[in-house]
Amino acid sequence: MPSSESLVELSLSAEQRELMERVRDFARRELNDGLIEREARSEFSREAWSKCAALGIQGLPFPVQYGGGGADVVTTVAVMEALGYGCRDAGLIFGINAQMWSVQMPILHFGTEEQKRRYLPKLNAGEWIGAHGMTEPNSGSDAFALATTARKQGDGYVLNGTKTFVTNAPVADVFVVFATTDPRLGFMGLTAFVLERSFSGLSVGRAIPKMGLRTSPMAEVVLDECLVPVENRLGPEGAGAQVFRVSMEWERACILASYVGTMERQLENCVRYARERKQFGRSIGKFQSVANRIVDMKLRLETSRHLIYRVAARKARGEDVTMDAALAKLHVSESFVQSSLDAIQIHGGYGYTTEFEVERDLRDAVAARLYSGTSEMQRNIIAAGLGL
Amino acid sequence: MIREIHDYVITELATDRELRTLAVEDDLIASGILDSMGIVKLIQFIEDRYGIQVEDDEVIPENFQHLAAIEAFIRRKTAASAG
Repeated sequence: MPSSESLVELSLSAEQRELMERVRDFARRELNDGLIEREARSEFSREAWSKCAALGIQGLPFPVQYGGGGADVVTTVAVMEALGYGCRDAGLIFGINAQMWSVQMPILHFGTEEQKRRYLPKLNAGEWIGAHGMTEPNSGSDAFALATTARKQGDGYVLNGTKTFVTNAPVADVFVVFATTDPRLGFMGLTAFVLERSFSGLSVGRAIPKMGLRTSPMAEVVLDECLVPVENRLGPEGAGAQVFRVSMEWERACILASYVGTMERQLENCVRYARERKQFGRSIGKFQSVANRIVDMKLRLETSRHLIYRVAARKARGEDVTMDAALAKLHVSESFVQSSLDAIQIHGGYGYTTEFEVERDLRDAVAARLYSGTSEMQRNIIAAGLGL
Repeated sequence: MIREIHDYVITELATDRELRTLAVEDDLIASGILDSMGIVKLIQFIEDRYGIQVEDDEVIPENFQHLAAIEAFIRRKTAASAG
C-alpha cells in the first residue's frame, strides 16, 4: 500500500524552480536550431550533446567526486522536465537519457572504484558517449533469453554475439553489454561488461533508420571474439540480471520526465492555436469537440507529472519503486502518444505537415511504448506486483 | 527459517505449479520457479522478514540457487550485521 505521505502533493523549492527556468531558457536558445533539417537527415548533434554536458545535464545526479552535479532524484527529474519543455529535439534528450540511466547509473551502482574513475568523469563531461546493449535479434521483451556468450579465457573473457537497437552506438565510446557466462542458470547466468570501442572484436553496424527520435543514432553492435579484460566486468559474475534490473528501474522512473515538459509545451501550443484559429466565425476552442480534446490533454499531463514525481520522491527516500516506475512509464508513454494524436487533430491539415512541428511529437512518442520495456511488459510487472 | 522460505516460495513464487514441497537443494533457477520478477519479490520478503539489506551485487546464483543457499546467505548477513 502507498504511504499516506505519497498522497501529499510534492512541492518544488524556489531553487529547483529557478534551475528549471534556466534549463528551459538554455534549451530554447541553444538546442533547437535547424532541427527540421537535422531530423530529416537523421543527424546527431555532437555540439548540442556537448552543450548539455557543459550545463551539467548528463552528470546531474552523479556524485561530485566523479564530475557530477550531486543532485537528488527530484531535482534531476525537474531538470529533465524543463529540458523536454525547452528542447524540441526529443532524439537528443533520449540519447542523453539512455546514457545516464543505463550506462552511467549501472557503472555508479556496480562499478569498482577504478571503473567509476575511468568512465564517469568523461561521460559526465560529454567527452565520451555511452551505449547500452541488451536487446538481440531474437530476444526483445524476453530479454534474459539472450544468446551472447562470455567465456573465460586467461585473465579475461571472450564475448560473442550481436546486440541490436543500441541507442548511441554509432557515436559511442563505451558500451555496457550483457552476456551469459552460464546458460544453464538462465537469468542468473548473465554478466555485465563495460566495453570500449577500441576493444578487439567489437564493431558497430550502420545506423538503423527509424520512425522517430531520428537525431538519436541507433545501430547493431557485433561482438566477434571480443576480448574483454576481467577488470571490465561490471559487478560479479551472475549479477547481470540485477545490473539490468537496477538500470531499467532508473530508466523507467526518469526517462519520460522530459515528456512531461514536452506535453506541457504541446498543450500550450494547442491552446494558443485553438484560440487563434477561427472557423465558422469563432475560435475553434469554443467548439466542445476541440475543447474537450484539450481538456483530456491537460488531464494526461497532470496525471503523468504526478506519477513521475511520485516515483522520484519515493526513490529519493530509498523505497522500492518497481511497480511505481512501471506505472509511470506505462501511463506517460501512452498519454504522450494519445496527446500527440490529439494535437495533430486540433491542428488539422497543418498538424500533419513537417513545417508545423506537430507531427514529429507523434513519431517520437511511439518509441516510448517500446523502449525500456514495452507497455505490455510494464503491465506484466504491475500485474506481478499485484500478486497475479 | 528454511521452512518459512520454503512456504513463501511455494505460495508466492510457484503459484502456477501444483507443488506442495521442495527439497532444500532443488534448483530454483533451473526449474524456473525463481524468475527475474520472482527474485524481486523474494528479496523484498527476505528484507522485511529478517531485517537485512540485500545488496545489488549479492543477487547472484550462489546466494539464491536453492533453499539451502538462501538460508546460508541470510544467516551470513544476519551474523555480519550482529557482529
